[in-house]
Amino acid sequence: MAEASVVPESVANEPRRSARSLYSALEVDARLLGLIGALIIIWIGFNIMSGGLFLTPRNLWNLSVQSASVGIMATGMVLIIVSRNIDLSVGSVLTFTGMTMAMLQTQWLPSGLLGQPYTWIIVLAIGLALGAAIGTLQGFIIAYLGVPSFIVTLGGLLIWAGLAFEEASGQTISPLDANFQLLGGGPTGSLGETLSWAVGILACIGIVYSLIASRRRRRKYGFPVRPQWAEATLMVVSIAAVLGAIWIANSYYWPAALAEQFGKGPNTPVGIANPVLIAIGVAIVMTILATRRRFGRYVFAIGGNPEAAELGGIATRRTIMLTFVIMSTLAAVSAAILSARLNAGVTGLGAQAELYVIAAAVIGGTSFAGGIGTIPGAILGAVVMQSLQSGMVLLRVDSPIQDIVVGIVLVAAVGTDAALRRRAR
Amino acid sequence: MQMNRKLAGLVAAAAIVLTACSNSGGSAAPSAAAASGGGAGSAAGCKVGVSWNNYTEERWAKWDEPAIKAALAAAGAEYLSNDAKSSAATQATNIDQLISQGAKVLIVLAQDGTAIKPAVKSATDQGIPVIGYDRLIEDPKALYITFDNKGVGKMQAEAVMKAVPKGNYVIIKGNKADANADFLRSGMTEAGIPADAASATGDIKIVGETYTNDWKPALAQTEMEQFLTANQNKVDAVLSENDGMAGGVIAALKAQGLNGKVAVSGQDGDKAALNNVALGNQTVDVWKDARELGKAAGEAAVQLCNGTTVDKVAGTAPFTTPGKNNVSSIIIAPHPMTKDTLQTVIDAGWITKADLCKDVPAATAPAACK
Repeated sequence: MAEASVVPESVANEPRRSARSLYSALEVDARLLGLIGALIIIWIGFNIMSGGLFLTPRNLWNLSVQSASVGIMATGMVLIIVSRNIDLSVGSVLTFTGMTMAMLQTQWLPSGLLGQPYTWIIVLAIGLALGAAIGTLQGFIIAYLGVPSFIVTLGGLLIWAGLAFEEASGQTISPLDANFQLLGGGPTGSLGETLSWAVGILACIGIVYSLIASRRRRRKYGFPVRPQWAEATLMVVSIAAVLGAIWIANSYYWPAALAEQFGKGPNTPVGIANPVLIAIGVAIVMTILATRRRFGRYVFAIGGNPEAAELGGIATRRTIMLTFVIMSTLAAVSAAILSARLNAGVTGLGAQAELYVIAAAVIGGTSFAGGIGTIPGAILGAVVMQSLQSGMVLLRVDSPIQDIVVGIVLVAAVGTDAALRRRAR
Repeated sequence: MQMNRKLAGLVAAAAIVLTACSNSGGSAAPSAAAASGGGAGSAAGCKVGVSWNNYTEERWAKWDEPAIKAALAAAGAEYLSNDAKSSAATQATNIDQLISQGAKVLIVLAQDGTAIKPAVKSATDQGIPVIGYDRLIEDPKALYITFDNKGVGKMQAEAVMKAVPKGNYVIIKGNKADANADFLRSGMTEAGIPADAASATGDIKIVGETYTNDWKPALAQTEMEQFLTANQNKVDAVLSENDGMAGGVIAALKAQGLNGKVAVSGQDGDKAALNNVALGNQTVDVWKDARELGKAAGEAAVQLCNGTTVDKVAGTAPFTTPGKNNVSSIIIAPHPMTKDTLQTVIDAGWITKADLCKDVPAATAPAACK
């Protein structure tokens, strides 16, 4: 056991190490790297085709906000697909919770609670509770009554969409509460320069801490650790990426007309948008849940081999139900962001969102066979798809062609992933 | 074993009872098919089937349907309906269902005016007249009742061009498969907007034009954000073909501080949009009193039920469709709502003053809000 914690002598003494052993020392998931590579290619490609418009702080900032809602839901969808289920009701849950929150803050809440500085908190809390309740209902029927998830969530897709229409008689509800709107982004709904840097520095500290803690933990239990240069490289690259992203967010300045309205000076940085902050927060929580908590490991175990998981003593039914509770709650979070961004509750808000969410999770490496998937992959998948769509609008590509391209990319991404996995075996 | 047989017997009995009940409703169908155009009967036996394309859009349930129902009830006719949920295939099935339920006249709000042709032809072949409601159906026998959609586009363009005679224009169109999207665009071209970016050699330049899947407001918002980025915010006017998308456009403008400074058009008379006109965020909202349309369709349906032929229905005029068909049509005029003319919608009972003037500051309020 003691030898395992030391880099093998043969590798340490060899003057010219092969690229493969260098790369494997880093212990980075190949799929993730492939996804990041694809994203960079897409970005550079669009930048060239749009004459340098794509890789501007403004467009990248917009892209981050546009990807946020699908990204948030995709993290929940990973757990569902990993455990060999599917949730087709996500779009309708989004529409229903979004419409309910819109109705609450414009009509339903008692007038004493309307228009107060804390109204948005009440509305958001009720919206999330509604999402959780829907998830519990669907999850219960799936896990405890044994009805296939495809059927239950397909029914949900119809029911929640219908309810969303009924509660507002099909009307568009607008405008929304002034504070609630800030959840949707826009320069007013962003952190600004100082707070963005603060978040960035916190993130860097977090990365350093987690790398050091993980190394210490490995040593403690006698597992091999990465060579020091690998740890250093990972640390430097991660910190550079985080700080680079914050710098880009801070390079997007308040638009002149808006800056005038709010009394900001010229070139005031906008910073991280609230929806993006929420998405990052959700991603971190979900990653910890999936990789470092028993619940997450149970989900992956159930996905890998349901019978073995059950026989091994895992509370499979409760775990499955919880995955659906999480998914619907995340749909409610996305609903808040989307309706705040649009400043309206509309009956079609989440229509067909489930397709994009599933596509994002799958492009990010989640397999329908179960047991395989990553949260960061899902977020990247959402960013890839939104980059394609937004980039194509920038290039004046017609919407039916956009749909064709997204469809082809989806199949190509999953096909490549499946082929590589087969070769690796 | 005994239980199973009893159960089977019960189920069979129930099935027979149910079929008998539904069949009694359909017994009128064969006689209606045989008596095409004949019979001087009152509208009492008249069943009118309405096929909606997507009932979940704001206006159909709120305005069109009550007006149709009222016109039918006034003549003693019966109202049947179903919803195709934006699927052309489902709509074809729905039309068959309405016929088998005994509908003598069909009012069809087409999801896809070309895909629905076989179902419509089958209906007219059976002697059941079809009214194409609001959206064009390329069938020479169908009665086309609509607002002047080209006129709507013309009004949108005229109002915006009056506010912004010179500058950069963005055009946010609706669903590509919806003929109305192109009608509106051709109306804009008639009013003086260049037909496309290449032919924009005069005062008006087109810096962005796109269709929007399903007329989705959130999609329009993303499209507008990209157009603003592509043109570094140098956009002076946006021709949005309906109010839902205008809402998305205004949200995108607001994030850049440009709302109220860029002219925006819309149609449908959505409450939120009329409020935006009062606030100055939207320049014009072409209001089509859907109640007029529903009433006209209901009254025409009753006449058709009583045996009047399509071209003899009151108020029709010939109309040449883009597909070169000559149809009879009833075209209803829309009303453009700008800041100055908002009183009309309050007077017509379409919207209350409170809803129209919500959050409108007294200093910049239009006449209707004072």
